[in-house]
Amino acid sequence: MTTSKPWSFALLAATLSAFAIAHPAAVSAEGAAQWSVQVRKVDPGDINLASSFQIAIYENLLDQLSKTKQFKQVLRDGDRKASDVADLLVLKTTVEKYTAGSETRRAVTTVSGATKLTVRSQLCTLDGKVILELTVNGNVRFMGSNLRATHNLARNVAKTIKSTRLPEPTSGTLSKAANSISSDDIVVVELR
Amino acid sequence: MNPTDVPCLCRPSDLLLICRPYMAVLALLIASGTAALAQDASQKNSPSSTHATHLLGFAGAPDNASGTLSIEGDALQFQKSGKPAAEVKLASIQDVFLGDQSKQVGGIPMTLGKAAVPFGGGRAVSLFAHKKYDTLTLEYVDANGAFHGAIFQLNKGQGEIVRNELVAKGAQVSNSDFESSKQTAEASSDNK
Repeated sequence: MTTSKPWSFALLAATLSAFAIAHPAAVSAEGAAQWSVQVRKVDPGDINLASSFQIAIYENLLDQLSKTKQFKQVLRDGDRKASDVADLLVLKTTVEKYTAGSETRRAVTTVSGATKLTVRSQLCTLDGKVILELTVNGNVRFMGSNLRATHNLARNVAKTIKSTRLPEPTSGTLSKAANSISSDDIVVVELR
Repeated sequence: MNPTDVPCLCRPSDLLLICRPYMAVLALLIASGTAALAQDASQKNSPSSTHATHLLGFAGAPDNASGTLSIEGDALQFQKSGKPAAEVKLASIQDVFLGDQSKQVGGIPMTLGKAAVPFGGGRAVSLFAHKKYDTLTLEYVDANGAFHGAIFQLNKGQGEIVRNELVAKGAQVSNSDFESSKQTAEASSDNK
Protein backbone atom coordinates (compact mmCIF):
# COMPACT_ATOMS: atom_id res chain seq x y z
CA MET A 1 0.00 0.00 0.00
CA THR A 2 2.73 2.41 0.94
CA THR A 3 4.51 1.82 -2.37
CA SER A 4 1.35 2.37 -4.43
CA LYS A 5 0.71 5.83 -2.94
CA PRO A 6 3.61 7.59 -4.68
CA TRP A 7 2.55 5.99 -7.94
CA SER A 8 -1.02 7.24 -7.56
CA PHE A 9 0.27 10.72 -6.71
CA ALA A 10 2.52 10.64 -9.75
CA LEU A 11 -0.36 9.54 -11.93
CA LEU A 12 -2.58 12.28 -10.55
CA ALA A 13 0.20 14.84 -11.04
CA ALA A 14 0.73 13.66 -14.61
CA THR A 15 -2.98 13.88 -15.33
CA LEU A 16 -3.18 17.34 -13.81
CA SER A 17 -0.17 18.56 -15.77
CA ALA A 18 -1.68 17.14 -18.95
CA PHE A 19 -4.85 19.10 -18.28
CA ALA A 20 -2.84 22.15 -17.34
CA ILE A 21 -1.25 22.02 -20.79
CA ALA A 22 -4.62 21.56 -22.43
CA HIS A 23 -6.20 24.04 -20.05
CA PRO A 24 -5.32 27.41 -21.70
CA ALA A 25 -6.98 26.51 -24.97
CA ALA A 26 -10.11 25.34 -23.23
CA VAL A 27 -10.28 28.45 -21.09
CA SER A 28 -9.62 30.64 -24.09
CA ALA A 29 -12.36 29.00 -26.12
CA GLU A 30 -14.80 29.32 -23.26
CA GLY A 31 -13.55 32.82 -22.53
CA ALA A 32 -14.26 33.84 -26.10
CA ALA A 33 -17.79 32.62 -25.63
CA GLN A 34 -18.18 35.18 -22.91
CA TRP A 35 -17.87 38.11 -25.24
CA SER A 36 -20.97 39.67 -26.65
CA VAL A 37 -20.93 41.30 -30.02
CA GLN A 38 -22.78 44.20 -31.52
CA VAL A 39 -23.03 44.22 -35.29
CA ARG A 40 -22.86 47.68 -36.80
CA LYS A 41 -24.54 48.71 -40.04
CA VAL A 42 -22.53 47.89 -43.13
CA ASP A 43 -20.45 50.75 -44.43
CA PRO A 44 -20.52 50.73 -48.24
CA GLY A 45 -17.36 52.85 -48.39
CA ASP A 46 -16.76 54.19 -51.87
CA ILE A 47 -18.63 51.31 -53.46
CA ASN A 48 -22.00 51.93 -55.02
CA LEU A 49 -23.68 48.99 -53.34
CA ALA A 50 -27.44 48.57 -53.42
CA SER A 51 -29.22 49.04 -50.10
CA SER A 52 -30.64 45.55 -50.36
CA PHE A 53 -27.10 44.13 -50.35
CA GLN A 54 -26.07 46.22 -47.36
CA ILE A 55 -29.12 45.12 -45.43
CA ALA A 56 -28.68 41.51 -46.49
CA ILE A 57 -25.05 41.47 -45.31
CA TYR A 58 -26.07 42.99 -41.97
CA GLU A 59 -28.96 40.59 -41.37
CA ASN A 60 -26.97 37.56 -42.50
CA LEU A 61 -24.07 38.51 -40.21
CA LEU A 62 -26.46 38.63 -37.25
CA ASP A 63 -27.89 35.29 -38.21
CA GLN A 64 -24.58 33.53 -38.83
CA LEU A 65 -22.89 34.92 -35.72
CA SER A 66 -25.81 33.71 -33.60
CA LYS A 67 -25.46 30.26 -35.13
CA THR A 68 -21.81 29.97 -34.11
CA LYS A 69 -22.82 30.25 -30.42
CA GLN A 70 -19.42 31.81 -29.82
CA PHE A 71 -20.87 34.96 -28.34
CA LYS A 72 -23.05 35.35 -25.31
CA GLN A 73 -25.28 37.83 -27.10
CA VAL A 74 -25.42 39.09 -30.65
CA LEU A 75 -26.84 42.59 -30.63
CA ARG A 76 -28.03 44.86 -33.38
CA ASP A 77 -26.79 48.33 -34.15
CA GLY A 78 -28.43 50.93 -31.92
CA ASP A 79 -29.73 48.40 -29.42
CA ARG A 80 -30.08 50.16 -26.05
CA LYS A 81 -29.41 46.88 -24.24
CA ALA A 82 -25.79 47.13 -25.38
CA SER A 83 -25.06 49.70 -22.67
CA ASP A 84 -25.72 47.06 -20.01
CA VAL A 85 -23.48 44.43 -21.55
CA ALA A 86 -20.12 44.13 -19.80
CA ASP A 87 -17.81 42.67 -22.41
CA LEU A 88 -18.89 43.90 -25.73
CA LEU A 89 -17.13 43.72 -29.03
CA VAL A 90 -18.24 45.76 -31.98
CA LEU A 91 -18.17 44.26 -35.47
CA LYS A 92 -17.58 46.91 -38.12
CA THR A 93 -17.90 45.89 -41.73
CA THR A 94 -16.75 47.93 -44.70
CA VAL A 95 -17.30 46.90 -48.29
CA GLU A 96 -14.04 46.90 -50.22
CA LYS A 97 -14.99 45.36 -53.52
CA TYR A 98 -18.19 44.44 -55.29
CA THR A 99 -18.72 42.89 -58.66
CA ALA A 100 -22.32 42.84 -59.74
CA GLY A 101 -23.34 39.55 -61.28
CA SER A 102 -26.26 38.21 -63.24
CA GLU A 103 -28.20 35.09 -62.45
CA THR A 104 -29.18 34.70 -66.09
CA ARG A 105 -25.57 34.97 -67.28
CA ARG A 106 -24.56 32.38 -64.73
CA ALA A 107 -27.30 30.05 -65.88
CA VAL A 108 -26.46 30.49 -69.55
CA THR A 109 -22.68 30.54 -69.51
CA THR A 110 -21.73 28.93 -66.16
CA VAL A 111 -18.34 30.67 -66.21
CA SER A 112 -19.39 34.31 -66.13
CA GLY A 113 -21.88 36.43 -64.23
CA ALA A 114 -20.57 35.69 -60.75
CA THR A 115 -21.50 38.10 -57.96
CA LYS A 116 -18.45 38.85 -55.84
CA LEU A 117 -18.21 40.70 -52.57
CA THR A 118 -15.15 41.52 -50.48
CA VAL A 119 -15.45 43.15 -47.08
CA ARG A 120 -13.08 44.17 -44.34
CA SER A 121 -14.41 43.31 -40.90
CA GLN A 122 -13.00 44.59 -37.64
CA LEU A 123 -13.81 43.33 -34.19
CA CYS A 124 -13.17 46.22 -31.83
CA THR A 125 -13.55 46.78 -28.13
CA LEU A 126 -15.65 49.69 -26.95
CA ASP A 127 -12.54 51.84 -26.46
CA GLY A 128 -11.70 51.39 -30.13
CA LYS A 129 -8.97 48.78 -29.88
CA VAL A 130 -9.06 46.47 -32.86
CA ILE A 131 -8.63 42.90 -31.69
CA LEU A 132 -9.32 41.17 -34.98
CA GLU A 133 -9.24 42.37 -38.54
CA LEU A 134 -10.13 40.19 -41.46
CA THR A 135 -10.81 40.48 -45.15
CA VAL A 136 -13.42 38.04 -46.35
CA ASN A 137 -14.95 37.18 -49.70
CA GLY A 138 -18.43 36.01 -50.53
CA ASN A 139 -19.28 34.91 -54.03
CA VAL A 140 -22.04 33.21 -55.88
CA ARG A 141 -20.75 31.54 -59.02
CA PHE A 142 -23.35 29.09 -60.19
CA MET A 143 -26.67 28.49 -58.49
CA GLY A 144 -28.62 30.98 -56.45
CA SER A 145 -29.69 34.59 -56.62
CA ASN A 146 -27.27 37.51 -56.40
CA LEU A 147 -28.21 38.09 -52.76
CA ARG A 148 -26.88 34.61 -52.01
CA ALA A 149 -23.42 36.19 -52.09
CA THR A 150 -24.27 38.08 -48.90
CA HIS A 151 -25.21 34.84 -47.17
CA ASN A 152 -21.95 33.18 -48.23
CA LEU A 153 -20.01 36.25 -47.13
CA ALA A 154 -21.60 36.32 -43.68
CA ARG A 155 -21.03 32.60 -43.27
CA ASN A 156 -17.34 33.06 -44.11
CA VAL A 157 -17.01 35.96 -41.67
CA ALA A 158 -18.62 33.93 -38.88
CA LYS A 159 -16.49 30.89 -39.71
CA THR A 160 -13.30 32.95 -39.63
CA ILE A 161 -14.19 34.58 -36.32
CA LYS A 162 -15.04 31.20 -34.84
CA SER A 163 -11.73 29.72 -35.90
CA THR A 164 -9.80 32.63 -34.42
CA ARG A 165 -8.79 32.62 -30.77
CA LEU A 166 -10.06 35.83 -29.24
CA PRO A 167 -8.38 37.35 -26.18
CA GLU A 168 -10.08 36.80 -22.89
CA PRO A 169 -12.49 39.43 -21.69
CA THR A 170 -10.99 41.62 -18.99
CA SER A 171 -13.93 42.34 -16.73
CA GLY A 172 -14.10 40.90 -13.19
CA THR A 173 -17.25 38.94 -13.80
CA LEU A 174 -15.67 37.18 -16.70
CA SER A 175 -12.52 36.39 -14.76
CA LYS A 176 -14.75 34.75 -12.21
CA ALA A 177 -16.44 32.83 -14.99
CA ALA A 178 -13.08 31.66 -16.28
CA ASN A 179 -12.08 30.58 -12.76
CA SER A 180 -15.25 28.62 -12.34
CA ILE A 181 -14.54 26.90 -15.62
CA SER A 182 -11.07 25.93 -14.44
CA SER A 183 -12.44 24.57 -11.17
CA ASP A 184 -14.96 22.57 -13.15
CA ASP A 185 -12.09 21.12 -15.10
CA ILE A 186 -10.44 20.00 -11.88
CA VAL A 187 -13.65 18.34 -10.84
CA VAL A 188 -13.56 16.41 -14.07
CA VAL A 189 -10.01 15.31 -13.29
CA GLU A 190 -11.08 14.16 -9.87
CA LEU A 191 -13.91 12.13 -11.30
CA ARG A 192 -11.53 10.34 -13.59
CA MET B 1 -95.29 50.07 -106.45
CA ASN B 2 -95.91 53.06 -104.42
CA PRO B 3 -92.77 54.47 -103.08
CA THR B 4 -94.53 55.24 -99.81
CA ASP B 5 -95.13 51.47 -99.16
CA VAL B 6 -91.47 50.74 -98.89
CA PRO B 7 -90.25 51.22 -95.37
CA CYS B 8 -88.13 54.21 -95.64
CA LEU B 9 -84.79 53.64 -93.95
CA CYS B 10 -83.28 56.72 -95.25
CA ARG B 11 -85.13 58.95 -92.85
CA PRO B 12 -82.99 59.66 -89.78
CA SER B 13 -85.78 59.19 -87.30
CA ASP B 14 -86.58 55.67 -88.58
CA LEU B 15 -82.95 54.69 -88.61
CA LEU B 16 -82.70 55.77 -85.01
CA LEU B 17 -85.72 53.68 -84.08
CA ILE B 18 -84.27 50.53 -85.62
CA CYS B 19 -80.80 51.00 -84.13
CA ARG B 20 -82.04 51.87 -80.65
CA PRO B 21 -81.58 48.37 -79.09
CA TYR B 22 -78.07 48.08 -80.53
CA MET B 23 -77.16 51.50 -79.25
CA ALA B 24 -78.44 50.60 -75.82
CA VAL B 25 -76.26 47.45 -75.77
CA LEU B 26 -73.28 49.48 -76.99
CA ALA B 27 -73.80 52.10 -74.30
CA LEU B 28 -74.06 49.37 -71.68
CA LEU B 29 -70.82 47.82 -72.89
CA ILE B 30 -69.01 51.15 -72.84
CA ALA B 31 -70.29 51.93 -69.37
CA SER B 32 -69.25 48.58 -67.95
CA GLY B 33 -65.85 48.80 -69.63
CA THR B 34 -65.27 52.25 -68.20
CA ALA B 35 -66.25 51.06 -64.75
CA ALA B 36 -63.87 48.09 -64.99
CA LEU B 37 -61.02 50.33 -66.13
CA ALA B 38 -61.69 52.79 -63.33
CA GLN B 39 -61.70 49.97 -60.79
CA ASP B 40 -58.44 48.61 -62.20
CA ALA B 41 -56.84 52.04 -62.04
CA SER B 42 -57.95 52.56 -58.47
CA GLN B 43 -56.52 49.16 -57.53
CA LYS B 44 -53.23 50.10 -59.15
CA ASN B 45 -53.10 53.42 -57.37
CA SER B 46 -53.87 52.25 -53.87
CA PRO B 47 -53.49 48.56 -53.26
CA SER B 48 -54.60 47.59 -49.80
CA SER B 49 -52.48 44.48 -50.14
CA THR B 50 -50.10 42.96 -52.60
CA HIS B 51 -48.50 39.59 -53.09
CA ALA B 52 -44.87 39.57 -51.99
CA THR B 53 -42.04 37.25 -51.09
CA HIS B 54 -40.23 38.00 -47.85
CA LEU B 55 -36.55 37.42 -48.56
CA LEU B 56 -35.12 38.20 -45.14
CA GLY B 57 -35.12 40.42 -42.10
CA PHE B 58 -38.78 41.15 -41.29
CA ALA B 59 -39.10 40.23 -37.62
CA GLY B 60 -41.48 37.34 -37.05
CA ALA B 61 -41.72 36.28 -40.68
CA PRO B 62 -39.87 33.26 -42.08
CA ASP B 63 -37.27 33.86 -44.78
CA ASN B 64 -38.15 33.21 -48.42
CA ALA B 65 -41.84 33.04 -47.58
CA SER B 66 -44.59 34.08 -49.96
CA GLY B 67 -47.47 35.99 -48.53
CA THR B 68 -49.40 39.21 -48.52
CA LEU B 69 -47.86 42.57 -47.79
CA SER B 70 -50.40 45.12 -46.66
CA ILE B 71 -50.75 48.37 -44.81
CA GLU B 72 -53.26 48.02 -42.01
CA GLY B 73 -53.86 51.22 -40.09
CA ASP B 74 -50.51 52.47 -38.85
CA ALA B 75 -48.60 49.24 -39.48
CA LEU B 76 -47.05 47.38 -42.36
CA GLN B 77 -48.06 43.73 -42.21
CA PHE B 78 -46.74 40.63 -43.84
CA GLN B 79 -48.87 37.54 -43.60
CA LYS B 80 -48.05 34.10 -44.85
CA SER B 81 -51.24 32.18 -45.51
CA GLY B 82 -52.41 30.38 -42.42
CA LYS B 83 -49.83 32.05 -40.20
CA PRO B 84 -50.18 35.03 -37.87
CA ALA B 85 -49.18 38.32 -39.42
CA ALA B 86 -45.87 39.98 -38.63
CA GLU B 87 -46.04 43.74 -38.46
CA VAL B 88 -43.98 46.86 -38.06
CA LYS B 89 -45.28 50.30 -37.14
CA LEU B 90 -45.01 52.78 -39.98
CA ALA B 91 -43.54 55.34 -37.59
CA SER B 92 -40.60 53.04 -36.89
CA ILE B 93 -39.66 52.78 -40.57
CA GLN B 94 -36.61 54.92 -41.17
CA ASP B 95 -36.10 54.43 -44.87
CA VAL B 96 -37.47 52.62 -47.86
CA PHE B 97 -35.42 51.73 -50.93
CA LEU B 98 -36.50 50.38 -54.26
CA GLY B 99 -34.49 48.11 -56.47
CA ASP B 100 -34.99 45.53 -59.12
CA GLN B 101 -33.54 42.19 -59.95
CA SER B 102 -33.85 39.55 -62.60
CA LYS B 103 -34.31 36.02 -61.35
CA GLN B 104 -34.48 32.63 -62.97
CA VAL B 105 -37.94 31.14 -62.59
CA GLY B 106 -38.80 27.59 -61.65
CA GLY B 107 -36.41 27.15 -58.77
CA ILE B 108 -34.39 23.98 -58.24
CA PRO B 109 -36.70 21.66 -60.27
CA MET B 110 -36.31 23.92 -63.27
CA THR B 111 -32.54 24.12 -62.77
CA LEU B 112 -32.26 20.33 -62.61
CA GLY B 113 -34.51 20.00 -65.65
CA LYS B 114 -32.33 22.43 -67.59
CA ALA B 115 -29.23 20.52 -66.57
CA ALA B 116 -30.79 17.33 -67.89
CA VAL B 117 -31.45 18.74 -71.35
CA PRO B 118 -28.81 17.28 -73.71
CA PHE B 119 -26.36 19.31 -75.77
CA GLY B 120 -26.60 22.28 -73.45
CA GLY B 121 -30.15 23.01 -74.47
CA GLY B 122 -30.96 24.03 -70.93
CA ARG B 123 -28.78 27.08 -71.33
CA ALA B 124 -30.96 28.27 -74.16
CA VAL B 125 -33.99 27.80 -71.93
CA SER B 126 -32.27 29.93 -69.27
CA LEU B 127 -32.18 32.83 -71.70
CA PHE B 128 -35.94 33.06 -71.54
CA ALA B 129 -36.71 31.56 -68.15
CA HIS B 130 -36.15 34.67 -66.11
CA LYS B 131 -38.42 37.32 -64.71
CA LYS B 132 -37.89 40.83 -63.40
CA TYR B 133 -38.95 41.71 -59.90
CA ASP B 134 -38.96 44.78 -57.72
CA THR B 135 -37.20 44.64 -54.39
CA LEU B 136 -38.44 46.73 -51.51
CA THR B 137 -35.88 47.27 -48.78
CA LEU B 138 -37.03 48.64 -45.44
CA GLU B 139 -34.95 49.98 -42.60
CA TYR B 140 -36.71 50.17 -39.27
CA VAL B 141 -36.01 50.17 -35.55
CA ASP B 142 -37.63 48.07 -32.86
CA ALA B 143 -38.75 49.09 -29.38
CA ASN B 144 -35.14 48.91 -28.08
CA GLY B 145 -33.87 51.16 -30.84
CA ALA B 146 -32.17 48.22 -32.56
CA PHE B 147 -31.74 48.58 -36.29
CA HIS B 148 -33.45 46.06 -38.56
CA GLY B 149 -33.56 45.64 -42.30
CA ALA B 150 -36.06 43.70 -44.35
CA ILE B 151 -36.17 42.84 -48.03
CA PHE B 152 -39.29 41.96 -49.97
CA GLN B 153 -39.57 40.82 -53.56
CA LEU B 154 -42.61 42.09 -55.43
CA ASN B 155 -43.93 41.85 -58.94
CA LYS B 156 -42.55 44.42 -61.34
CA GLY B 157 -44.20 47.79 -60.77
CA GLN B 158 -45.62 46.96 -57.35
CA GLY B 159 -42.60 48.22 -55.42
CA GLU B 160 -43.12 51.85 -56.23
CA ILE B 161 -46.83 51.65 -55.45
CA VAL B 162 -46.19 50.17 -52.01
CA ARG B 163 -43.45 52.68 -51.38
CA ASN B 164 -45.65 55.61 -52.36
CA GLU B 165 -48.36 54.34 -50.08
CA LEU B 166 -45.88 53.99 -47.23
CA VAL B 167 -44.72 57.55 -47.80
CA ALA B 168 -48.31 58.80 -47.94
CA LYS B 169 -49.04 57.14 -44.61
CA GLY B 170 -46.06 58.63 -42.84
CA ALA B 171 -43.07 56.35 -43.33
CA GLN B 172 -39.77 58.19 -43.58
CA VAL B 173 -37.92 58.08 -46.85
CA SER B 174 -34.59 59.71 -47.59
CA ASN B 175 -35.21 62.44 -50.14
CA SER B 176 -32.18 61.71 -52.29
CA ASP B 177 -33.28 58.15 -52.91
CA PHE B 178 -36.84 59.22 -53.52
CA GLU B 179 -35.69 61.78 -56.05
CA SER B 180 -33.38 59.35 -57.80
CA SER B 181 -36.11 56.75 -58.05
CA LYS B 182 -38.47 59.37 -59.41
CA GLN B 183 -35.89 60.38 -61.96
CA THR B 184 -35.31 56.78 -62.91
CA ALA B 185 -39.03 56.28 -63.31
CA GLU B 186 -39.28 59.41 -65.42
CA ALA B 187 -36.33 58.40 -67.53
CA SER B 188 -37.76 54.96 -68.13
CA SER B 189 -41.14 56.44 -69.05
CA ASP B 190 -39.35 58.79 -71.45
CA ASN B 191 -37.62 55.87 -73.05
CA LYS B 192 -40.93 54.16 -73.58
